[in-house]
Amino acid sequence: MSPPQTTALSVRQRWLTAVPYLTVLLFLVVIAALVWFTRSYDEEEQRATLISDVLWMEQNLQFKLERNASQLAQIGQEILAADRHLPQTSAALRQLVRAENGLVRVMWLDAEGRLKGALPPIGEGEMLGEQLGEQSAANLRLAQALERRVYGQVYAAAGDRLQFEVHVPIYAENGFVGAMIGVYSLHDLVTHDLPWWFAERYRVSVLDSDGHELVAKSKVAPLSDRQSYTMAFDPPGGGLTLQVTAYQGETRWVQVLLIGSILLLGGILVWSVLQLRRELQRRHRAEQALRSESLFRRAMEDSMLTGLRARDLDGRITYVNPAFCRMVGYSAEELIGRTPPMPYWDPEFLQQTQDIHDRVLRGDASPEGFEIRLRRKSGERFDALIFEAPLIDAAGRHTGWMGSMLDITAQKRAEELARQQEERLQATSRLITMGEMASTLAHELNQPLAAIASYNTGCINRLEQPEIDRSELKDIFDRIGRQARRAGDIIRRVHDFVRRSEPKREPLDINLMIREAIGLIEADSTKRGMRIETELEEALPSVAADPVMIEQVIVNLVRNGMDAMRDNPPARRTVRVSTRREGDTLVVRVADNGTGIDAETGRRLFEPFFTTKAEGMGMGLNICRSIAELHHGRLGFETNPDGGTIFTLSLPVETP
Amino acid sequence: MTQPCAHIIDDDEAIRDALQWLFKTRDVACATWPSAENFLAALQPGWRGCVVLDIRMEGMSGLECFDVLRQRGNQLPVIFITGHGDVPMAVAALKKGAFDFIEKPFNDSDLVDIVTRALEIDANNHRAETTRETVETRLALLTAREQEVMELILAGKFNKVIADDLCISMRTVEAHRSKVFEKMEVRSAVELAQLVNLVRNRPPH
Repeated sequence: MSPPQTTALSVRQRWLTAVPYLTVLLFLVVIAALVWFTRSYDEEEQRATLISDVLWMEQNLQFKLERNASQLAQIGQEILAADRHLPQTSAALRQLVRAENGLVRVMWLDAEGRLKGALPPIGEGEMLGEQLGEQSAANLRLAQALERRVYGQVYAAAGDRLQFEVHVPIYAENGFVGAMIGVYSLHDLVTHDLPWWFAERYRVSVLDSDGHELVAKSKVAPLSDRQSYTMAFDPPGGGLTLQVTAYQGETRWVQVLLIGSILLLGGILVWSVLQLRRELQRRHRAEQALRSESLFRRAMEDSMLTGLRARDLDGRITYVNPAFCRMVGYSAEELIGRTPPMPYWDPEFLQQTQDIHDRVLRGDASPEGFEIRLRRKSGERFDALIFEAPLIDAAGRHTGWMGSMLDITAQKRAEELARQQEERLQATSRLITMGEMASTLAHELNQPLAAIASYNTGCINRLEQPEIDRSELKDIFDRIGRQARRAGDIIRRVHDFVRRSEPKREPLDINLMIREAIGLIEADSTKRGMRIETELEEALPSVAADPVMIEQVIVNLVRNGMDAMRDNPPARRTVRVSTRREGDTLVVRVADNGTGIDAETGRRLFEPFFTTKAEGMGMGLNICRSIAELHHGRLGFETNPDGGTIFTLSLPVETP
Repeated sequence: MTQPCAHIIDDDEAIRDALQWLFKTRDVACATWPSAENFLAALQPGWRGCVVLDIRMEGMSGLECFDVLRQRGNQLPVIFITGHGDVPMAVAALKKGAFDFIEKPFNDSDLVDIVTRALEIDANNHRAETTRETVETRLALLTAREQEVMELILAGKFNKVIADDLCISMRTVEAHRSKVFEKMEVRSAVELAQLVNLVRNRPPH
């Protein structure tokens, strides 16, 4: 991925992650606005209701005052103008002076202002002046002058009551005849007889011009005067104001609950979005880890040189890695879903391959793996080493088989080549040994033959002479015969050596073997001024070995010993061959007094093609060791305490 | 062992025996030695004849033996008998003054012929050696003046010239000349020249 894309994606992602928060925020703002709007609308409505209620109440009071005044005027006509006290009038009066009407007393005066009567009547204790003070007189005069009713100022009466009066002038045919005075209790007027719903909703109070509360419907103060309405109380006037305050209306639980639940839900929403975000991040991280892990595994599988192949329980291919595809030459698409026989099976080995396949599916496959010949798409054959293992899924179920395949063609070819090489080298070495042997033997053969020829020429010379000494000639012919037999012996030995070329394993008398081997080399050794001494332990058990091979080893070792002593003085030119039984092995020691073997040479001594001789091939000791190992024995060497080297060939004793 | 004979040195008894028989049938005197060491131990300076040497032998090899012979100043002709593998060695030996080499298997008559020739050569050498010794003995008898005169005679000068050269009289020259001829046992200047040349220009061996 290129960086710009990453940036773009992350910007988009950031936007995507921010959208829920923005939405939640917007939602909360809208909800808050809605609530505020609803509340203010409610308040407006409440206020409008309040005002209309107050107007209604004021109107109600006015109406009551007006009606009382009308009644007073009517009764005044009866008792002052007509001057008759009818029972109906008294009933009307009594009807009038009631708490519901706010009137506590009605008094009537004559034109001169003298008290003519009162209801309830004024008691002895009560001072008249209290009712008819200076103020009252002034009011009366004013009412008479104005010819209409006049309300007086509020004053305090006994018992902490606040009262005011209304003076209603009464006129008859002969003019002013007196006045009716209604004494109102401010408290009763205002508080009495308010409808229940009004009293429940509002606190009603009367304030004087200074704003002091004179009278209140209830002693309980409203909590807030936010919802209150004040208006002039006229009549009675005189700066009085009527104040109506709404009680703190009962808390509107529904709204609170609504807002609360909205806030709660909003909170939950934010919290859940946060949780979601955290979960999302965790998931994202896990996904990232999973992806990188998966990519890593994929890269691992892809870069592996081992071919991987998964099969389900029916043997159907479910997965192959690139190495497998490379090996068989088919693409993954061509292989996945295939059932046996697979396209990469070698048709020549179809049955065997099928058998192996069935064995794998049965679970009988060898854990060491098996080798099989397969065929690439190109038709080229190759050898594969396959390991099969059960495929266990995450739930622990056995879902199929996992095979890993190695192309071992090159390895097998190399092994085969190495084996052939070894064989060839063995053969070559054998040929060389035989060649050398033949050369030596030919040389040796020369001796008797030359002798025979010389005897023969001598005989011919004699025969050409006139006199023949028969006994002399007979003696010479005897000698010729001896030499011919000598030649025959040599030829027989060569024949023996050549004839035993087939490798075989037979019980072998090692001492006999050594003597024969030495017999082969003896001629050579005498020529070279070397001696071969033997020190053979008697009654040794036999070993199972190929006599020719063992002979070859001994010949080789003795020859090496002689080569090592090439520069020795004649007295130190002896190869000592000894045999000994040591536990379960027979040990043949070939000791020389030669130059010895230094450490570096010793390390590389058995390496193929390592030689210290100008004409050597460097195969002799290598082959000797192979032969020793072929017989489950060992070829080693140690330093000779007398100078030189001792080679040891150990062979296991043949157990009967 | 004053008689000239062929010394056969070979470590193979049969070969020695067979060759001895062969030489006997051709009337060639021979002596056999089982090893070079044996032969060298017995060798005397006056021995005449030739040596037949096998190259590959136990102990001292034929070539070593040849070297020892020459180091000792022995000039006996040496014939090498060699196997196929030894030919280069034999050739090298030949270049160092060996008489001949013969490769195995050999034609026995050829071998006897070669040996016979070698014996003749040795005999000739021996004779030449003897003559040389005689001449040298005679030369030793001459006085200084006689030697001077002889050199001038050998240079082919006449008596008169010799007299002038030596500032002596013709008669004196005559006297010296007859003395030289007498002592050298020759009758002519030509004979004298031949005799002296034998000593001074040794023929190659």
